[in-house]
Amino acid sequence: MSIMKSVNDFLARLSSKLKGGGEIAIEKQRKKGKHTARERIDELLLDPDSFLETDLFVEHSVKDFGMDQKVLAGDGVITGFGKVNKKSVAVFAQDFTVAGGSLGRAHAKKITKVMDAAGEAHIPLIGINDSGGARIQEGVESLCGYGEIFYRNTRLSGIVPQISVILGPCAGGAVYSPALTDFVFVVNKISNMFITGPQVIKTVLGEEVTQEELGGAITQASITGNAHFYAESEVDAFTTLKKLLSFLPANSNEKPPVYRTVLPVNPLGDDVIPDDRKKAYCVKELIRGIVDASDFLEVHERWARNIVVGFARLDGKTIGIVANQPRVLAGVLDVNASDKAARFIRFCDSFNIPLLTMVDTPGYLPGTDQEHAGVIRHGAKLLYAYSEATVPKMTLIMRKAYGGAYIAMCSRHLGATFVTSWPSGEIAVMGPEGAANIIYRREIAEADDPEAFRKKKVDEYEEKFSNPYVAAKKGYIDTIIKSSMTRETFIKALSVTDSFEIGHKHGNIPL
Amino acid sequence: MESKLNNLNIDGTEYLTEIPKGSLKSYEGMPDLSEVRAFIPGSIVDILVSEGDRVKPGDILLLLEAMKMHNEICPGISGIVSKLHVSKGDTVKKDQLLVEISGL
Repeated sequence: MSIMKSVNDFLARLSSKLKGGGEIAIEKQRKKGKHTARERIDELLLDPDSFLETDLFVEHSVKDFGMDQKVLAGDGVITGFGKVNKKSVAVFAQDFTVAGGSLGRAHAKKITKVMDAAGEAHIPLIGINDSGGARIQEGVESLCGYGEIFYRNTRLSGIVPQISVILGPCAGGAVYSPALTDFVFVVNKISNMFITGPQVIKTVLGEEVTQEELGGAITQASITGNAHFYAESEVDAFTTLKKLLSFLPANSNEKPPVYRTVLPVNPLGDDVIPDDRKKAYCVKELIRGIVDASDFLEVHERWARNIVVGFARLDGKTIGIVANQPRVLAGVLDVNASDKAARFIRFCDSFNIPLLTMVDTPGYLPGTDQEHAGVIRHGAKLLYAYSEATVPKMTLIMRKAYGGAYIAMCSRHLGATFVTSWPSGEIAVMGPEGAANIIYRREIAEADDPEAFRKKKVDEYEEKFSNPYVAAKKGYIDTIIKSSMTRETFIKALSVTDSFEIGHKHGNIPL
Repeated sequence: MESKLNNLNIDGTEYLTEIPKGSLKSYEGMPDLSEVRAFIPGSIVDILVSEGDRVKPGDILLLLEAMKMHNEICPGISGIVSKLHVSKGDTVKKDQLLVEISGL
């Protein structure tokens, strides 16, 4: 073959591969409001012209069930490398237009190859899931493929950030690859995740449930907590994903990139929380008053809303924020809040991101439901995560820091590197009402005017403990500051610990 | 996202806060072992005991077919079969009462 002929032959082969599943399948994909796998990588995720594709010419070698007659472009998945805001990432995107994005041996091998490369190059891995599931014609070979992906997700955990974007069905065993990664994105009306679908549920349990109700984006983002980020469109999901990446280092041996400092839009004043401790406020407004450019990227915005976690910058440096949210369930800790915070803390610890914990919590949520759901076991994860973390751990006590929840919210006793309190801080075993009721139970019952006596004792307890000075006297709190000083105090504290030790510590097991 | 605020009592203090749906579930009590219920929906393919029979844990009361499996349904306590609530061929829902056992 002459050179020109071979080039033309190559171009013809290339063009056929690049068409994926062909015009009709692509049209179907668009009708569902979905982009193609190639558009997702090339246009929505990566910097223009940065995509370096691998394994486009890989083909399956299955002979059964007429598969030998079928050539599947790229075997239903696009893999390679590229740049997001000039930083390298490894990426794969399942192509639903090719055999429904079904996962067979060759398809899985392409994915595991790019995963191995991400590990060797120490760069983040981004997976875009849009697949009907196992390629049934391939039998155990397909299951082998899933298993090898899960194995790598686990081995890479805590070494490079792994992000999954669910842009179509992701059902059965397939859900476990995203579930093993650090962050999962879902898009309204496009994403679907479940172990057993509505049809099986109807057969077995007689329950009628739609795909959306069972495992749609809203369900995954607000009920199950499987998804960390919810978006209204694919474009929005990738915009948020790129923002997320901007906060992260490429691997556990690096620190996150440092940006230019930008002041918050509305810096905190000295009167930022309500006088009445029983009144709610939104802690996110306070976070925005502290961090650079008031820019806070919340993780798990819709799930376990009684605790708020997310990324921001302080003096240009990435920090992970964990804050009780008095606006929801009074900011109590419970099963889900513990899991949510613990996993976030462990991610931050894996990737050298200092933590800022903001405390205003009355304690744990009471109830049989919580006890039987294992609040002891789940709450222990939060204690473990904070105690284990060796990144700088800064704590701000805003108001209530009661009982076990005070300990759990990154107290000095769990190894906090710097603890400060506003003058409104209250560190006590419980709120004054409960404390007085217990300490003076008998006296209150026997008093001539029990209510007046009770109130007097509540006031006494409040006077004694509803302040940060008792803890400060013992050195459990390092400083007491006006709220307007919060930002500059933490900037100073953060710079003291600038040369903290980095390196691989642990994986980020799903909690 | 403005939603309704309610009082939530934690250790004697009432906090005004949002209480998301389902976050305060009430307790439904310990399971009553004298009642044998269907743990899965299905159909009754065979009944191996009669009212008045003495049974103990491990004995098979009936076979419940679900997910193409014959599930052996056994009592949680020893006692007398006081009431059979189903007949052979019945289809049952999850948690439907099948057999009552009166303890010894």
